[in-house]
Amino acid sequence: MSAAASKLAGKRILIAKPGLDGHDIGAKVVALALRDAGAEVIYTGLRKAPDYIARVAVDEDVDAVGLSILSGSHVALVEETVRHLKAMDAADIPLFLGGTIAKEDHATLRAAGVVDIFTSDMAIEEVVDRLAERLDALQESRA
Amino acid sequence: MGELNRRALGRALSRAADAGVAEALHTVIHAPEDPIRRIALTGAPGSGKSTLAGALARERLAAEATRRIGVLAIDPTSRYSGGAVLGDRIRMDGDDDQSRLFIRSLASRHTAEGLADNLGALIALLAAYGFDEALIETVGVGQIDCAVRELVDTVVLVINPESGDVVQAMKAGVMETADLYVVNKADLPGADRAVAALNGRGGAPRTPGWEPPVLTASMDDAASVRRLSEALDAHQAWRSEAVDQHETRRRRRAYMLLALLQRQVQRRAETLGPTTDPAALLESLAADFRSFADLVRDQGETRDHG
Repeated sequence: MSAAASKLAGKRILIAKPGLDGHDIGAKVVALALRDAGAEVIYTGLRKAPDYIARVAVDEDVDAVGLSILSGSHVALVEETVRHLKAMDAADIPLFLGGTIAKEDHATLRAAGVVDIFTSDMAIEEVVDRLAERLDALQESRA
Repeated sequence: MGELNRRALGRALSRAADAGVAEALHTVIHAPEDPIRRIALTGAPGSGKSTLAGALARERLAAEATRRIGVLAIDPTSRYSGGAVLGDRIRMDGDDDQSRLFIRSLASRHTAEGLADNLGALIALLAAYGFDEALIETVGVGQIDCAVRELVDTVVLVINPESGDVVQAMKAGVMETADLYVVNKADLPGADRAVAALNGRGGAPRTPGWEPPVLTASMDDAASVRRLSEALDAHQAWRSEAVDQHETRRRRRAYMLLALLQRQVQRRAETLGPTTDPAALLESLAADFRSFADLVRDQGETRDHG
């Protein structure tokens, strides 16, 4: 295994598509990049409800949830997902966000509990690196 | 059984799946008797196992109002990255009531033959959380995947009528381990031919007293899923009469022990890599075997005294 492959070794990550937008090429590209970095990736498929996503995150006991949202309703969908995670005693599972996310919403989203936001102009390597760094930092702060 | 604590079970499954050899050995040796029914769906990629598993789970939940079913869906780990895309649950999960259904995706990790690390311990955990049935979904192709046989009561071989894999299925291996054959996607052309080929397969039954039936299934036909579910019940009922439960349990422990040892060897081979000097590799393996034997002896003593 290459050095790149070990960045996310041992991590389980859920890539989820909440809401009604019908495109998941971005989510799939990210899922494959995470796998190539050594992660076990669970992908939900399109148009899933926040309560469904929270349940899958809990059942699969993932180390992170990545929401991919292109519809513009990211604030409501993030808040709903966070609410359902809390209800399932899973507020500690870090939430990441990717897609078309307006800059002016970033502060609101972070306040709602999003650890990091990856926009479509970022290179995929940067997404993987930053995700790995964030997860390592979280792990250290909890140890 | 009270309400299912999904968070606790999810975490417990992670710990059990990640357990190292010593901890896993402890589980193998001290595992309590558990009455959970164990069913495996196996077959080639694309045979529709996941969709069928989802439909079957729903049918069996509807048939019994208090039944709880845990699904363990196994996909292969990439040999290149160590990562995996676990995509089975997309095809089996729904937005309907899930209070009695728990699905966990597993990567095969260091375990060969279509299974996953510490699978026996994961099934035992489902039993401890009040599940009546474990449904294991795994890729089984032709000749190698007999290992699942050792861990479950009923092996269902799912066959795709279009893939021409009936001939493949005739080969030794998974064909001989199946207790039930299902020609899936039976609405597609070729299904009748596949059923005829399976019915005319000849050869002695693997288990004396049980002639594996050949069924068809189609997602358009709810009755076909019900028939499969009833055939599973028939096999489970036959087994409870005809098969020695102590012998089954002994064999399962032996399998889990061997699987752990294989994993140890596999990990060593991965860590050292093919460029390692063969003498050094042998020395490391010999040390592994010695420490494994020590562990087994220590655990055995703990059991005798406890």
